[in-house]
Amino acid sequence: MSPATPPRPDLRPYFDELERFADGQMTPAEQEAFELRLEQDEALAEAHAAYEQLTADLRWAAGHDTLRLRLQALDERMNERGNALARTEQRTKLRQRRGTILTAVGVLVLLAAGVAAWYLSRPSAARPARSWEAYYQPDPGPLVTPALLQDRPLLAEALDQYQSGHYPAALHSLGRLSPPSVGADTLQYLRGLILLRQGQGSAAQLYLRRVAEDSGIGELPRRARYHLGMAYWQAREWAPALAELRAVAADSLNPYRTTARRAVAAGVLEGR
Amino acid sequence: MSAPLAETLTQLRVGNQKFLIDFYQRSRHLFARWAQRQYRLDAPRAHGLLQDTLLDFYDQVADGRITKMPDDLRAFLYGMAQQRLDANVPAHVPLPAAEAGRRQRLLAQFNQLGPDCQRVLTFFYFRGYHFEKMGGKMGFPNATVARLQKSACLRKLYDLLK
Repeated sequence: MSPATPPRPDLRPYFDELERFADGQMTPAEQEAFELRLEQDEALAEAHAAYEQLTADLRWAAGHDTLRLRLQALDERMNERGNALARTEQRTKLRQRRGTILTAVGVLVLLAAGVAAWYLSRPSAARPARSWEAYYQPDPGPLVTPALLQDRPLLAEALDQYQSGHYPAALHSLGRLSPPSVGADTLQYLRGLILLRQGQGSAAQLYLRRVAEDSGIGELPRRARYHLGMAYWQAREWAPALAELRAVAADSLNPYRTTARRAVAAGVLEGR
Repeated sequence: MSAPLAETLTQLRVGNQKFLIDFYQRSRHLFARWAQRQYRLDAPRAHGLLQDTLLDFYDQVADGRITKMPDDLRAFLYGMAQQRLDANVPAHVPLPAAEAGRRQRLLAQFNQLGPDCQRVLTFFYFRGYHFEKMGGKMGFPNATVARLQKSACLRKLYDLLK
């Protein structure tokens, strides 16, 4: 309020009738009488003007405050919506980043597994093979010649089946041969060989041991001893396998000496 | 364009503030970018500045200082905001104007009233509701109760001013 503004009249003595007049609560007669007094009573006229100013200011204040509150509420709503959008965007980015990391980790794990598989399966001089097959030198048996076919057709058939890898058929054919026609040691040796190739190391030992131990000296027992050692190895009987192979490696007349030496020198049978 | 804008000004005078609310919603982001670029204001301060500017504009329309809608309303409002910043007017304080002191005093006292009194006086003096409608909005049993409540609130405000 500027200092030049005259002091405002006190409305309280007139408040009731000013309010009733302004709000249209008077009867027509009351209203007419009040309007007449307004013209004649200066104090009442001043109070009426002040009242009108008060309500006009109040109208402005209420409008101003309403707008202020509406703008504030809208601002908060827009902030919340902006924050929610930012959070959603952040979550999406996080999910994408996590997906990328998981994919990268997956690829790394696969790579590592591939490298490990390659490393473990590669042949290495530093790390000798531990499987018996890596040191086994098979005996293909006698050649199937026309003469053999003619003289001993059953033996020729069994040998042919053995050499073709048809071990059960070869065993069946051997079963049809009579020992005197071929020789008991040869039959047992061949049976042992076939069983060994079939993966029945324990069964093969029986036949090969008989040939190696009961047939005295000669090439067949020497051969049988090597295959007996390998049959032990296949049956995971490390100690007898090592003993047999050492004996073969020490026998200068054994045709499998070199192979047996290599197996013994690799040291894979020791300490198992 | 001028006809709808002139209509808008009339609507503002009778208390329809939708135009200003829509303007705020539409322009808040752009205004904040402008204020950031020109005055290095952060977003919350820029939003507050735009609110104060719109309140100034409303006041000037309500008390007749603005009688014609500016041709370029956006430029006009940005200019008002600039004046506020150049004059270092604190936030939530209107621009100096005739009668501002009296009105600001009344506004301050109005905000001292309880929420129910504020609503009753707003319904009657700003929205123009009659007593029956106001009673319905406020949950009063009848129009007489609404009238008595309004009267009591007006006296309370007047006593605060005295």
